[in-house]
Order: sequence, then structure tokens, then C-alpha cells
Amino acid sequence: MNAVSLIRNAEPTQTPWRFRFDETRWCTLIHVLEKDPLLLMGLWCDGQDIHAVFLDEGQPIVATLALENGRYPALSPVREVASFDERIICDLYGVEVMGALDDRPLLDHNMWQVSMPMGRRLQFNENHKGLPHFYPSDQFFQGAELLEGWGPATGNMDPPFHVSVALRCGYILRAESQMGYTHRGLALRWCHSSIKEACRLSARVSAGVSVAHQVAFCMAVENAYGICVASDISLIRVALLELERIIHHLYKLAILAHLMGADLIAHRCMSLREDILEAQIPITGSRLLVDVCLPGTVTLSNVCRIGELCYKLYINIYEKIISLENTWRVYPGLMTRLMSLGSISREEVVQFGVEGPVARASGKEEDQRKMMPSYAGLWRYSSVQRQGTGNDRSLVLFNEVTESLRMLGMLADPLNTSSVIKDMGYWGEKGEGIAVVEGPWGPVLYWVQLSQGYVSHVFQRGPEKAIQLLFERSLQNHTMDKIPLLACSLGVNAAAFDL
Amino acid sequence: MWMIRAVLDNVFLRKRQSIKPAGQYWPIWFFHIDTGGCGGCGMELQALSYMPYDFHKEGFGFVTTPRAADILLVTGPVTHTMSPILEAVWEAMPKDQPSDFEEEEIRKPQFNFKGIITVGECAINGGIFSENYAVIGGLEGKVPIDITIRGCPPTPIDILNGLRTLFERK
Ligand code: SF4
Repeated sequence: MNAVSLIRNAEPTQTPWRFRFDETRWCTLIHVLEKDPLLLMGLWCDGQDIHAVFLDEGQPIVATLALENGRYPALSPVREVASFDERIICDLYGVEVMGALDDRPLLDHNMWQVSMPMGRRLQFNENHKGLPHFYPSDQFFQGAELLEGWGPATGNMDPPFHVSVALRCGYILRAESQMGYTHRGLALRWCHSSIKEACRLSARVSAGVSVAHQVAFCMAVENAYGICVASDISLIRVALLELERIIHHLYKLAILAHLMGADLIAHRCMSLREDILEAQIPITGSRLLVDVCLPGTVTLSNVCRIGELCYKLYINIYEKIISLENTWRVYPGLMTRLMSLGSISREEVVQFGVEGPVARASGKEEDQRKMMPSYAGLWRYSSVQRQGTGNDRSLVLFNEVTESLRMLGMLADPLNTSSVIKDMGYWGEKGEGIAVVEGPWGPVLYWVQLSQGYVSHVFQRGPEKAIQLLFERSLQNHTMDKIPLLACSLGVNAAAFDL
Repeated sequence: MWMIRAVLDNVFLRKRQSIKPAGQYWPIWFFHIDTGGCGGCGMELQALSYMPYDFHKEGFGFVTTPRAADILLVTGPVTHTMSPILEAVWEAMPKDQPSDFEEEEIRKPQFNFKGIITVGECAINGGIFSENYAVIGGLEGKVPIDITIRGCPPTPIDILNGLRTLFERK
């Protein structure tokens, strides 16, 4: 029996995609997952149960196990990426994991006012003095000649995190990241918030991927209450998702070019991005596309002109992107140097459960958009490269920008007749919903539990955990100065990681 | 060769200042620290360094070490984990006025203080991320702030306008 049928044959719950396990079945699942490549998206706890969400052909499927004496068997021995979630669950709930790969705290470095803030018994802490300590793993020092650190205060503009590296002959032998600097307690903030407030929080999980979070949250709420949104709303959301992808990729390409010393290209990327932002502000009302969606609707300042915006962007920007990509390709030394940056094989991508452009640059063609009904007739293909180098990832980003612009061009007509969309209001006693959308760096998943128009629990998972793991591994054999470059090329995102 | 070098040294190094004067003729150097935000304010700060904004021509620049910074730019709500780091960064920045300042005539009087600028609602009052077990909140009312730039996030133009007010200070 494979992992999917093992899950589907477990005890059904009130939702068709979640199944209840007992401990024996959970242990069998762990055993089966040793050979089965089923993608684990994440692991979360709601105080009583532990839930593991997998993606089966792009569709989420959840295995639930009741905690026995506050403990559960670990998934990390068969899915390394689960280790991050297990450590987070332990930090937040104090739930013990049996047989975990790693039991060090991940977010709580003895700095919070309360330990296990979502657990049954709160434990108040004395005010911690001094800087947070880094506790390396047992094997961290093996063979190292020198230890160095990078972050969290680097002066760059990204959310902070720390990487400790063990060096030999000037090259990184091992890297381990310390997270939690931007932990804002989002899981607790979401609990018992109104749906509107929860949506505002989703919009601010991480800038640059805000639309993906908003749309995934809204779709999960709609799924919970069985709301079927009008097709023009779905299409406007597609337009917003693609618009965000373009803006995000241009930003990343600019930073990458700057770090590679190609400032001319960096300026051109940013200047194009600014042209797009300038054009979209009168219509969306937000430069970084924050607060543009609510469950059941979209909240643009001038929704009637969204079709016009799509057309304008396609006509004005498409050729410029092609020319920019050509300049990128011929810029002296840029592609050659990127070819030696963080080469990631397809096997590694599969092993760590990485999705999105990073996976596609390594030859794994997975894209959540092909599963989304609202993309029917719009999505053609995802760009795929083979070698998984920094250069491949940049080319994938360029290709995705042109594809997104093409989709905007196709959306111009159907969106031209958009009427003024009303807030639908919310109804329903209780509900539980789940949704996944393809964000700029890969799938973004939301699971929500709702009651009387309020949120009881939210679980959010994006590609950040798997990417962080990959980032640590791919730093090996690089020099320290490559840390920001590799972080940018892989899309490391501490704000979305920490929540 | 040594002659040329001696002349150059004489011209350029004799009056080498012990601190970098700032103002319209000299850049004001910022060190940015994100103390736990969503990264949106940081993105808008980043945009300032590129076209079409003229951040550098306005007399500003970013540095990657607090030891070379005049002003600390803070974005994001302050988390308990980032709080000691923020403190350490502040301590690492040079003091307002070095007492051994010798070359009085080359000092540019427009700008000579060590300061903090908060960019975005989160850094000011916590914004959407109010105080909880992991978050202290904004810096308003906790430390003296020299300039606050509001918005969630503020636009690059808002930030630039806010920073320009530095030149109005004595
Ligand atoms: S002010 Fe807004 S954009 Fe800035 S860090 Fe806070 S939530 Fe993000």
C-alpha cells in the first residue's frame, strides 16, 4: 500500500481531505514514507492533534493523530524538512516528539516572555539578558578549522536570520541557521481573530509574497464555508498573483545582479519594476499589493480598470523584459559566475521537498498553477532548466516573468467588463478549509478552522522550510562572501519561515 | 616616487578628519536593521538605492557595518530576540561628537549626531504586530526617535522626504 492510499483508507473526518490515524497507522505511514516520495508540506499542532499535510498531485491531503500523553512519533527520520516543524511545535506547545532528528529549540532562544505560549500551561520567563545563544548540532564542529557567523544584523534589507558556518581551508564545511529573530507569534495572533483581521495578518506574513498568502487564506476560508466565488473574482486574483510574481522576480533579479556587481542590470530591473508599480497603484491601491483580497471578494481601489492594467502591462513591459533578459545573457561574466553558484541536483530537490522555481531550475517540473481551475486556458507550461545553478534559477525567473506577462495579456479581455464587487459577508457556524496557490517561490498552503465568523486556528506553510534546508546544504564548498548571494538566489525568507 | 607620495600625503592626509563630516557635500550613512517585520519596509528602502530614486545624489548611503553609520534605520516591530541585537548595533555606532576633533574648519555643521529613524508603523508602534510574548512592539516612547516615517509600508518617496528633513537639523 502506498502512502496516499494508507492515508485515504484511514478513518474519515468531516472533511474529504483529512483522515484520522491511530498511532500504529501513523508508524506504518512513517515506514511507508521511507520509500514513497509523497511530498510533505508541513506539520502542525492544534493542542490536541498533530496534523501532517501532504501534496498528492497538487491536492492537499492530511493525516491527523491525537497526541498521546503530549507526544507523537517523529516524521523527521523519513522527511528531514519535518524537523523544522517538529522543533517549532515543541517551542510553541511543548509537545514532545519521539525519535526526532533534532530536538534543539528553533524559534525560542530563551528570549520570549513566555515559554510554550500555545501550550496547556504557560511558563513565564525572567527577562533574559544578553544576545541569543547559538546551540550547534553535535556534528557541527567535526573537521572544522574555523567557526564564523553571518547575520542577523548585516545591514541588508532582508528580514534577519543567523548562519553559523564551520570552515576548512576558507571554504564552508557545514552551515547551520538559527531562526526565530522575526517570530511575531502569528499562529497565536490568528487564533480568535476576525476573518478580516486574520486576512490582514496573512497579507503581512512576508512582503513580496503577500498576494499568494492572501489568496490562499481567502480560498481556505471559502473552502471551509463552501463559498464559490464568481469567476471574475477568481480571474482578478490570478491577475494579482501574476502581477506579484513579476514584481517579485524583478526585485530578486535586481538584488542578485547587484550582488554580482552588475549594477547596470540591477538598475534596469528595478526601474522596470517601478514602472509596473507606478501603473498598478491607481488600480490596486497598494504598491506591494497588501490588503487586496478578502474572502469572497477582492478589495482593489479601482477594480473596473484591472483589465486595462493587464493590457497596458503586457503591451508596455513584455518587449522590455525580453531585451533585459538578452542584456543579462550577454553581460560580461554574469552568467558564467552564476553557473558556479549553488548547484542543486534534482535528487536534492526531491529529497528536501523543494518546489517552485528553485525545483524547476533543477529539472523538477511541478507547478501548482496547472491544478488551479482559475488558471484553465491561461497556464501553458513552466520553464524548466537542468543544472540547478544560480544561472538556471535566474533564467527560470526571467521566463516566469514573460509567461506571467503573457497571461496578463490574455486576461485583459475577460477582465474588461469587471463590475463593482461587493463584500459577500460571512456565514456558517463552523468550518474547516484548506487551499494551496503557487506563490513566487512555490506553493503556499493555508488550513483554517473557523467558528461563527471567527478564526479558531490557522496553519500556514510555504516553501521556506525546505529552502532553508537546501540553503544550508548548498553553502558547502562556497566561501563566506557567497552567503547573501545564495540566500537571494534560493529565495531564503526568514519572515515567512518564523511567522 | 616618494616625492610625489609625500606631496599627496601632505595635501590629502594632513587634514584627514577623525570623523566623516556629513551634510550636503558628504553622504549621511545609514545602517538598516529589520527588528522583526514582514520585510515590506526593507523592500521600499532597497528601492531607494536604484533608479528612478536619487538616494545617493541626495547625500545618503547605506553601510553594512554599524561602526561606519551615522544613523540607524529601524524597520519592523522589535521582537524580544532582536532587542539585544538592536542594542548592540546602537552601541557599535560611533558617538555623536568625538572630543578629540581637531580640524574644526572642515567640520560640516549641518549634521553631526547619532540618531534613530523608524520607518513604517511596526517600528513606530508595532503596527499590526502589537505586544505579545515574542514582540515588544514599536520604539515610540521607549527610546528617543529622531524621525518617524509612517506607512505600512511607506513609499520610497515618503522615506526620501522623511530623510531629507535631516538636513534641516543642526
Ligand atoms: S510597517 Fe507594514 S510593511 Fe513595514 S514591516 Fe510592518 S507590516 Fe511590514
